[in-house]
Amino acid sequence: MSLLSSVALAAALALPHAEAAPQKGGSLTIWWFQWAPADGLQELGKEFEKETGIAVKVQQIPLASYQDKVFLEFGASKTQFDILIGDSQWIGRGASKGLYVDLTDWLKTVTNLETIHPRAARYLCEYPEGSGKWFAAPAETDAVGIAYRKDWFEDAAEKAAFQKKFGRELTVPKTWDEFKQVAQFFQRPDQKRFGCAMPTSRAYDGLTMGFQNVLWSFGGAWRDEKSFKVKGFLDTPATAQAVEFFRELIALGPKGSGNLDYGEVLEAFSNGSTAILVNYFAFFPGIQAKFGDKVGFAVLPAGKAGRVAALGGQGMSISTRVPKEQQELAKKFIAWFLQKKVQEQWITKPAGFTANTEILRSEEFRKKAPYNGPFVDSIETMRDFWNVPVFNELLAVTQRYLGMAVDGEMPVMEALSKLAEEKEQILREAGLLE
Amino acid sequence: MERSRGGLGRFAFVGPTLVLLIAFNLFPLLYNVVLSFTNAELVGDGWKWIGGRNYERVFTDARFGAAVRRTAWFVFCAVGLELGIGFATALALQAFTRVRAVLVTALLIPMMLSPAVMGLFWNLILNGNHGITNQTLDALSLPQPQWLTDREWKLFSVILIDVWMWTPFLMLISMAGLAAIPKTLYEAAEVDRASRWTVFRRVTLPLVAPYLGLAVLLRFTDALKQFDLVMATQGPNDTSTQTLSTLLYQVTFRDGKVGLGSAYACVILVLVIALATVFTRYLETIQRRTA
Repeated sequence: MSLLSSVALAAALALPHAEAAPQKGGSLTIWWFQWAPADGLQELGKEFEKETGIAVKVQQIPLASYQDKVFLEFGASKTQFDILIGDSQWIGRGASKGLYVDLTDWLKTVTNLETIHPRAARYLCEYPEGSGKWFAAPAETDAVGIAYRKDWFEDAAEKAAFQKKFGRELTVPKTWDEFKQVAQFFQRPDQKRFGCAMPTSRAYDGLTMGFQNVLWSFGGAWRDEKSFKVKGFLDTPATAQAVEFFRELIALGPKGSGNLDYGEVLEAFSNGSTAILVNYFAFFPGIQAKFGDKVGFAVLPAGKAGRVAALGGQGMSISTRVPKEQQELAKKFIAWFLQKKVQEQWITKPAGFTANTEILRSEEFRKKAPYNGPFVDSIETMRDFWNVPVFNELLAVTQRYLGMAVDGEMPVMEALSKLAEEKEQILREAGLLE
Repeated sequence: MERSRGGLGRFAFVGPTLVLLIAFNLFPLLYNVVLSFTNAELVGDGWKWIGGRNYERVFTDARFGAAVRRTAWFVFCAVGLELGIGFATALALQAFTRVRAVLVTALLIPMMLSPAVMGLFWNLILNGNHGITNQTLDALSLPQPQWLTDREWKLFSVILIDVWMWTPFLMLISMAGLAAIPKTLYEAAEVDRASRWTVFRRVTLPLVAPYLGLAVLLRFTDALKQFDLVMATQGPNDTSTQTLSTLLYQVTFRDGKVGLGSAYACVILVLVIALATVFTRYLETIQRRTA
């Protein structure tokens, strides 16, 4: 064997060993799905390592298989992750099945809970909602907003044509009716130009998440917030009206707009063909980087019940299925991450949106990026889908019946009645409804 | 003593395989049956017996009936098309004696690729906006169906991908069957001045039928389990494409209902075994008739 190959072999054998060697201060593994903020968190992790000697590894799992992988891990006696950045809807399952460490008593000793935005606390961190029992700390706070082609909206010829057609000025829509008008105006398939794009995917939660922005602002509801009763709250004329309206909006999008996942919605806007995008704020820094001042950002339009934005984002939870020492390291990281000075670094990372109220209320944050102002205004109106342990079953039936109603496969009221009935059945079986 | 050494010797040969079969086939199967009578969940503390409630739920679940009908339609269309096109291609390839090897190699490529990768590729090919299929149809001023998003086309698209992928398999088996037919039979038919159609109907088809039957049986049992293409193109919860396997996945891994999922698995297993047995009997009849 030549000297070179001996050295190469020795190096190859030594490398994994060197990587596997325990860090001086220990090491932490965080799981998140694959997207830009996870890179930002990894960068922050390096800062944390410099300060504490505790190495942080953010492992990014493709979104499509993230949930399946996470809950398969929880099925084992020990998880590979110490900290999980899980979807807001998982918190019920995580808390009630003993998968997430209860942070209630500890969290208030390391941070002022008043500095965490109440909506983020309610939907991302507490279970049951608003109970004051904390199972997560906010990691990435997000909401749905709109991005629009500012250059099209400001084009003199387009403005004149819109004025002529609708008798009013072409402006960023403030109501859903205005939104529809603008989308109708820009819907020109022969020119490969389309009105709007929003999540409608059937594979996981796209259709439900896209629809609920309209649902709430039209005065509809998924349930009675206190009793969890669904019948009489979901199958109402207001919800039916919202479904009909949503169906009309879908027709004002690019081809196949009845089944677009978040990435496809983004693609429809990024390829320069669509006037308005409805999606999470987390995607907006990428749009800003690509289009510069040709795009603008705004809050969602209002319906007769006001303006409501669907919540996005994830909380940071500690796995109960790791040794106590690892849980302590995880707590150290979360306490560090929640500090204002670290949150100020976090907001400089791509799509690093914070729940820290001191930062959110500052003029400096609003001015930092064109989407920050609309984000702050949206967070005040955030609401979320179910986050009970049977969230997945509730989501699956919602996707099914909503899909059938939107596709015209079943009359809207019939679909809503059946959906309400099946949801109550699921909730009864889970012991959440009498 | 001699007998016992012989017994031990025989066990030494079959033992390891037997242990593996028990560990990886029999035990999981029996454990699955046990779980199907419990309320076990993917995560959580323990489980308890709930009798036949899971089976009751399977048979009253509208999704199950719909998934059975959808899977049956998928198997019928996909395997039918694969058989027709595969056999026709094999017959056509008989005319190409010089370049046959090159053509066969090229035609076999789809079969050698991973279904998951194929699903992702076809997601791009059939994309309604920027997919090459609709771009081509647009250039030809032809209607552009929304292959992956329109509920009328979604299942058809999955069938299309499956046909593209597995037709070469049927072609390969058909070629093997055609090659096994003795040349003397064709020579005798020529002497008798039999028409090409008569030769095909009386010689080719009966002699190649057992091969086709076997290939269809293999594809049939495989297509009944259709999972990867549906997952890669539509996910497990789409009402237009949910097959038995993806429904099973949705219940067990997304909803986390392991007990209920096990009941689904048992019912699906019985269904597949029953259908495969009927098919095997039919195949044996064909073979006896040919012999």
